[in-house]
Amino acid sequence: MSHGNRWRWFSPWYFLFPFLVVSSLLIVWPTLVTAGLAFTDFNAVSAPVWVGLDNFLRLAQSEIVRTGLVNSGIFVALAVPLRTAGALGMALLLRGRERPFGVLRGVVYLPTVIPEAAYALIWLWILNPVYGPLNLLLGAVGLPAINWLTDPVYARLGMVILATFQIGEGFVLLLAARETIAQDVYEAAAIDGADRWRAFRYITMPLLLPWLLLLVGRDLLVSLQNTFAPSFIITYGGPYYATTFVPLLVYEMAFDFLELGMAAALLLFVLLVTGLITLAITDFSVVKE
Amino acid sequence: MTRGSRHQIGRIARLLAASVIALAFFLPFYWAVVISLRPLGSPPPSTIVWWPSEAQWSNYTAIFSIVPFARYFLNSVRVAAVAVPLTWFFASITGFGLSRLPYRWRRLLVPLMAIMLVIPGVAFWIIRFRVFQFFGLLDTLWALIAPAFMGGNPLFILLFYWTFRRIPQDLYEAARMDGASWWQVWVYIGSPLSRATGAAVVVLAFVKFWSDFTDPVLYIFDTGKYTLPVGLQLIRQLDQTNIPLLMVGAVFMILPVLVVFITMQRVFWRERPTGLFPTRSRARRERI
Repeated sequence: MSHGNRWRWFSPWYFLFPFLVVSSLLIVWPTLVTAGLAFTDFNAVSAPVWVGLDNFLRLAQSEIVRTGLVNSGIFVALAVPLRTAGALGMALLLRGRERPFGVLRGVVYLPTVIPEAAYALIWLWILNPVYGPLNLLLGAVGLPAINWLTDPVYARLGMVILATFQIGEGFVLLLAARETIAQDVYEAAAIDGADRWRAFRYITMPLLLPWLLLLVGRDLLVSLQNTFAPSFIITYGGPYYATTFVPLLVYEMAFDFLELGMAAALLLFVLLVTGLITLAITDFSVVKE
Repeated sequence: MTRGSRHQIGRIARLLAASVIALAFFLPFYWAVVISLRPLGSPPPSTIVWWPSEAQWSNYTAIFSIVPFARYFLNSVRVAAVAVPLTWFFASITGFGLSRLPYRWRRLLVPLMAIMLVIPGVAFWIIRFRVFQFFGLLDTLWALIAPAFMGGNPLFILLFYWTFRRIPQDLYEAARMDGASWWQVWVYIGSPLSRATGAAVVVLAFVKFWSDFTDPVLYIFDTGKYTLPVGLQLIRQLDQTNIPLLMVGAVFMILPVLVVFITMQRVFWRERPTGLFPTRSRARRERI
């Protein structure tokens, strides 16, 4: 049976070898060490010193950390529902085999696929209070101009708006999820006299619910992380720290102030909170397949 | 009115509504192109410009002399040229190896990949910095390429994994019976049969490496090694108000992604991550 091939010893495990080594170095080890650093005082120069829960106590007292957490909380509370609703709406509107639908699906995916730095630069200009097109557009319909980048409330809102268009991944997921619902179900419901709204309310929504929850869970982790580039490029955390979200705060703590222990503690706290929420609401059975 | 024609009207109404909303997704990019063609240093327009009146195509060459744009561009090209093929190769072999493991290992490793997928990047910024420092990769383009050696992103590996699981297992078995090693099975069966997934991964990997903003911010300090996303940030710091120039840079950055995305459109939508779940339309396609 065996022809004495000299590659015969090569078991499937060898294929995994490079991945196991590199991902240990770049993902597993850094994550575990960061979790450990949260309990130390570490300034990147001298060796870390064990301080127990000290970092967490200092975080609780820090004004800027509280601001960062509140900013992130507001951002997530606004962006996640908007992004999920947007992805659902576009997925239901844009399913169909005809060519125009295909083109529009590409358009909806566009803001997700283009480089985040370019996207942020474009929005830096769109949100410009004086000659940005958004305010010119508001003016054209008789609405007052808004200080998008200089008013704390509107700066935060601006971040939410630009994130609301980057919904390609959720959109694709829901398009595919919608395809899993058989057309027969809708036909049966129509025969029983269900109108469009009822079909949506009693067929589409319940069947898509696990997917929506999956999406919300993922978005809690992803959308917060994705604030880094826009808040770095457009506002650098300002005005008055209104757009200092957790990733930017961690960056400043770790790389500007070399408070690596504190940064790690903040990170661990946020990871635990978002991770737990995600675990609580996600029904993983839909992805098991 | 017949059922059919009512259905048709609903479809057209849906298309109209969708077009209007989709416009909002497209408008920012259109505006960026229009504004990039305004004379450099000219006062900003006080009304919305829908059409460039005197298009300054020379802006697109001027940017090369105003900042070391060619250098940033070249660095970005270098990173993508090395990282994309490596990503394809490592994602493919890792996905293949994973798909060949016994069930009890797959059951353990596949969810583990999914977990790695959702760990936010911030979680490993700090220590990855030290790892790169240790290996002497800090402030080199290799720090940006490094993730390619683990298949770029666990998602890419899972895409290949699902594809390799879908290939009829008899094919592998037959080759094994003929004395082929697993390596040969990947070269002669696995890799040709996963061409569509491979194309999708190449698109996604190109977007990932070309667009990467965070990694160069964290690991590159020498401005001579800047890639486009951070290089543009530099223009912004030099000349805040030169919006046309900034938009020229943005368009330059977007263009390659757009070209790749549009040419690979078809593959992308067919091989989209979740499209790999056995949906009805897929089942129908495969029966034909």
